[in-house]
Amino acid sequence: MELLVSILVLGATNALLAAGIVIVYKASRIVNFAHGELAIVGAYVFYSAGLITQGQSLLLTIAATAAISALFGVAIYAALMRRLVGQPTFVAAMVTIGLAIVLKAAIVVFWHSKSVGINLTRQTLYTFPGGGRLTLVDVITVSCCIAFFAALFAFFNHTRLGRQFRGAAENPLLASQRQVNVNLILALAWGAAVFSASLAGVLFGSRSMLSPQSTIIGLSGLTAALVGGLDSLRGAVIGGLLVAAATYLTARLIDPALSEAVPFAILLIVMTWRPWGIFGTPEELNRV
Amino acid sequence: MMKSIAARLGLAAFAVGLATAPLQAQEYKIGYITDLSGPLAGSYTPTWQGFELYMKALNERGGVNGRKIKISLDDDGLRADRAVAAAKKQVERDDVLGIFGLSLSSTIGPVLGEMRKAGVPVASTFSAILDALPPAKPMYYSTGVAFEVAGEAIGVLSQRIAPKGKIVGVTFDSVGGRAALRHNKLMAEKLGYTWDEIVFPVRTADFTPFAQSAAALKPDIVVGHYGAEQNLGYVTALRAAGYAGPYVIAAYGASEATVKQAAQQSGSGANLYIVSRFAPVTDNVPGTKSIKDAAAKYGLADLNSMHVTGWTLGAFAEEALKKCGADCTRELLDKALQTIKIDTQGLTGGAIEMKPDDHYGTSFWRLYRWDTDKLTAVGDWQSQGALTFPTQ
Repeated sequence: MELLVSILVLGATNALLAAGIVIVYKASRIVNFAHGELAIVGAYVFYSAGLITQGQSLLLTIAATAAISALFGVAIYAALMRRLVGQPTFVAAMVTIGLAIVLKAAIVVFWHSKSVGINLTRQTLYTFPGGGRLTLVDVITVSCCIAFFAALFAFFNHTRLGRQFRGAAENPLLASQRQVNVNLILALAWGAAVFSASLAGVLFGSRSMLSPQSTIIGLSGLTAALVGGLDSLRGAVIGGLLVAAATYLTARLIDPALSEAVPFAILLIVMTWRPWGIFGTPEELNRV
Repeated sequence: MMKSIAARLGLAAFAVGLATAPLQAQEYKIGYITDLSGPLAGSYTPTWQGFELYMKALNERGGVNGRKIKISLDDDGLRADRAVAAAKKQVERDDVLGIFGLSLSSTIGPVLGEMRKAGVPVASTFSAILDALPPAKPMYYSTGVAFEVAGEAIGVLSQRIAPKGKIVGVTFDSVGGRAALRHNKLMAEKLGYTWDEIVFPVRTADFTPFAQSAAALKPDIVVGHYGAEQNLGYVTALRAAGYAGPYVIAAYGASEATVKQAAQQSGSGANLYIVSRFAPVTDNVPGTKSIKDAAAKYGLADLNSMHVTGWTLGAFAEEALKKCGADCTRELLDKALQTIKIDTQGLTGGAIEMKPDDHYGTSFWRLYRWDTDKLTAVGDWQSQGALTFPTQ
């Protein structure tokens, strides 16, 4: 039971990370290699906002972080990615790698590489027979993931902007000819992606520690997105859970030292079998 | 921060040497290389600050043999190529007598290789390589942590926590971590403990499964052989996994600040221990008073045992230069380093003493327990001479 809960919690974090990668890819066919850095920087922003508000107002801290994250995503699009429209996708991918390096440097510059933790709550809800604890943070993590995906589902299926987003993702040229503001759609995609990254980073930081090394969580998100399918939000969830299960089961039941390699072994198998991922759409592959 | 790093790098000579043109020729020039901007900057920056603080105070006292010390500081970002380039620059352009500081074995090793060719002695605050231990290899000295020695010391000191039972050693998959684990295991088994171990990948961010594995082994003591960051993540995960028993932090870049943060993050400081080669600043000894006085004078705050580590290396460098004499050369400095003995004024459990065939010397280790808001010593310092078990 404890293992199952752990897989669900890590799977939820992976799914949130993968969702951001999928949203950007769906909208622009760009694989964002800076997603882990965006997640951890977002979490550091949350930490700093908490210090500024002196822990007095959690809601204010959450609101400030959400706003900063979404705006930062929009700014990335406006300042960097918009200029790359029409360029080969590998150029944009290289730019995201550069962005990752800059963001990692930002952690050194602004937070002095300090390892910090986020204290959302320490409440224990249930103690398993072996002594392990189900905490409120675990429940919040899974709930946030469900809420985020539900909101995305509602947005894509029940709003005009969401339908435009899907249309623009399918065929940007046609969408722009139909007066769809593609720039707005892409900016929105980046805003939502960075928001989801920050959310994942904050939830991760509530269970572990934040440091420059923590940016490695982006790799789990990317693996989950690739396994599930780069253009499939459903795939992000399944991929997230698969990667989490592979990591945990290997660490607990086989050999901890292999826990890093096994998710990539799964990725290799999936990529060989279905290069577009389990739920991805077969397309002309033009990935980096 | 970037600005301040640049300022420190560019102006270290002025800050430390207080150089004036006529005096420049009479200065002792030494090099200091460490990670000030990379992944372990959080641990190595205070070590540099401690060293710098010592040198500032020393220069204000008039320096050594009537000559002030000028430090050439470079940031390696924990990258071997940058560390080697910095070392070459310091030797060829800055004309330093020796190189101090450094970070992990991954940077020490390549720098040491180059410096041996150039005939420049190297003294580090950490040691993941065995060159300093007897039979010592030339040109390398360490006043810090040798993982094999630490592993054995922790094995012995565990008796002060629980005289028997099961110890679970945890590390990440690195040469130093595995070396510490092996010697900890051998010593623990010699003393009658049963042993189990968990080795997780270096790039682990989520420690939950590894902590759950440790908790499932029902240990009487868990020992973490890794840096500050891993300790913070692991303690939190271990407590969440239901293990509330003793957890020992091996002080490899970890300090009382690490323990405090781990206590806060995991929700309880109970049963948190650290084994350290250097005294925490809260220890009431002459050495900590000197550091606090200097820190107050030069405006350095948030002191911890990483500052003590750097300060001690500063005292070591002073003694080496004193012994090297007014006409000090690299060769003479290396010769001087081979027979140094310094009284650390209580910052370590005894003198730091080098011999021609032992560039590490007898080290002293102490177990501390976290008590609400500070570390309290559990018994006296434990002396560790030569390794009990052979290295691999």
